[in-house]
Amino acid sequence: MSGRTLFEKIWSDHVIVVSPQGEELLYVDFNLINEGQSFLAFDQLRMEGRGSRRPQQHLAVTDHYLPTINRALGTAAMPNAEIRRVVEMLDENAQAFGLPHVGWFHADQGIAHVIASELGFAQPGMLITCNDSHTATNGACGALAVPIGGGNQLRHVVATQTVWLKKPKTLRMTIDGKLPQAVTAKDVILSIIGATGVGGATGYAVEYAGSAIRAMTMEGRLTICNMSIEAGARIGMIAPDDITFAFLKGRRKAPHGVDWDKALAYWSTLPSDADAVFDRELSFDATIFAPMVTWGTSPEDCSPVDGVVPNPSDIGDADRRRHVERALDYMRLKPAMPLEQVAIDRVFIGSCTNSRIEDLRAAAHVLKGRRAAVPGMVSPGSSAVKRQAEAEGLDRIFVAAGLEWRDSGCSMCNGSNGEIVQPGERCASTTNRNFEGRQGRGALTHIMSPAMVAAAAVHGRLADVRRLEPAASV
Amino acid sequence: MLAFTVLTAVAAPLEIAKIDTGMILPGRYMRRHRQPGHDYGEAFLYDLRFDEKGQPRPDFVLNDAAYRDAKILVTDSDFGCGSSREGAAFAVMDYGLRALIGPSFGEIFQVNCIQNGILAVTLGEAAISAMWRQLRAQPGVSITIDLSNQVVIAPNEAAHAFDISPLRKDRLLRGIDDIDETLSYLDKIESFEAARRAAFPWLPTARRE
Repeated sequence: MSGRTLFEKIWSDHVIVVSPQGEELLYVDFNLINEGQSFLAFDQLRMEGRGSRRPQQHLAVTDHYLPTINRALGTAAMPNAEIRRVVEMLDENAQAFGLPHVGWFHADQGIAHVIASELGFAQPGMLITCNDSHTATNGACGALAVPIGGGNQLRHVVATQTVWLKKPKTLRMTIDGKLPQAVTAKDVILSIIGATGVGGATGYAVEYAGSAIRAMTMEGRLTICNMSIEAGARIGMIAPDDITFAFLKGRRKAPHGVDWDKALAYWSTLPSDADAVFDRELSFDATIFAPMVTWGTSPEDCSPVDGVVPNPSDIGDADRRRHVERALDYMRLKPAMPLEQVAIDRVFIGSCTNSRIEDLRAAAHVLKGRRAAVPGMVSPGSSAVKRQAEAEGLDRIFVAAGLEWRDSGCSMCNGSNGEIVQPGERCASTTNRNFEGRQGRGALTHIMSPAMVAAAAVHGRLADVRRLEPAASV
Repeated sequence: MLAFTVLTAVAAPLEIAKIDTGMILPGRYMRRHRQPGHDYGEAFLYDLRFDEKGQPRPDFVLNDAAYRDAKILVTDSDFGCGSSREGAAFAVMDYGLRALIGPSFGEIFQVNCIQNGILAVTLGEAAISAMWRQLRAQPGVSITIDLSNQVVIAPNEAAHAFDISPLRKDRLLRGIDDIDETLSYLDKIESFEAARRAAFPWLPTARRE
């Protein structure tokens, strides 16, 4: 018998019922709930007279609809009545269903996918669900983290602590080699998505492996797994190792004392066996990766920053050509234009993809002693990240550069809190999606790494962070 | 949940690839409390159906009177990719559709549709292109979807077989809900929990309620 993959080990540890009809009933160790459309699930549970089976295995987190400014004003900071109502509904639902809740004045407040690892909720071997497509983020901790629908599936998890899932196939992406200077986890995952396409990993649970991944910090690994869904995969994960264990040790919800030793022994059994067979394997050479930017309206529409806007007439595949034509029209870009000549109107640094302390340090490193040529805002991934950044003086670097230092939340990544990019405005953004209208109706989004957004801010156009002149001394 | 058995209805061709869930249900509608008379039908593909002034775009297929009663959409690739917002499935449903047929779908979206009683069928690109041509040639023509026999009958009578998870098919045909099904396994869930609590005492399963 051949060995088992990381995914197969965790999956089989959670199977309660194998249905003859193709889906399996799995146990949910921990479920995160954002305000999003979770009210749809709670409305229905209430109508049915159902409660939460295991309230302590949930954490409600208000992140999508919170303003990142003027919070001291309380609800007056949310002049839009519909937005205010969504925030209030999660307050009410968490209370009514007895669920622990990180609300907007909580010291732990932050983006669900950021605080899950920060507080130690996300651990190797766990099955974690959340009503958000970026749930795979915490697969970086060696967990099986699966996105669920905010209505029916969330309702099911709250009522039963289980989820019906079809077992995906396994795909290992091996990224070997040392990353060139200024190439970050964001550039790695964008390069991968550029190669596979937004549907390239659909139906697969992805394990990211190889020396480039092993050398990466937890922050980088979280960024990689975060964007699995942008390649079509609901699940992305990385085998736990010493970097994972060192990251988890001492965190509030991580095991302590004798439990830590037991957990460590178990976690060490989880990595894929040497003879494990994956349904599909892809390999990437990390040494040829470059800082990436998107130019189109799908995360796969990306190129190294020193490249040019593609010419649709060079594209043989008719579907792809039609997509690129439409994308360039929406993005108001001309074929063959050097990407570094694309002028921007604003920047955004934040989101569950790139808002952890390491991301803010990378952006601040570029901005130190420089001025941004365009307006923009920085929203840390959590209140704890915000406190840490302020202790390190990063906030002062951002403010001195002319950017706004905001509170934590999903904010301008998708604008559900009303913080949007205006129609026709072009934004360099550390976020995860550049679909039409993602950051606001008619918004033109270019996604890239935090350092690249900082470089774009300095130049007022897309810019190659590798070619930035040294800053004037401060 | 509404049961789905056999549907014969007007089908509209929607030949735009990579329509993500944010286009199906624009973010600004996600705050809307969904209730009768104030549902997500208006939101469905709003920015494709209407211009900046809120006027219907005359060249957009769903604004053609021939498709007013459409209950089936024949989509392009990756329909429903992107964000997991389940409201996108509600938008499809509230707009009055019962089925989608396309070469590929966003995985979460497809599951959300099927769990809400909307059949999202994947067929090969050749079959889809052929149906687009037939629908364009005769605007307002019908397609039949027979779930029991897992077959789509195109306007030209060509039959296209499709795959569906047997479990989803069974629950769609019966119109039954997942929670009732799951709670019939409550004993198994409880014994699983007890074993997990003993083996992994640091997990939240072990936390007392």
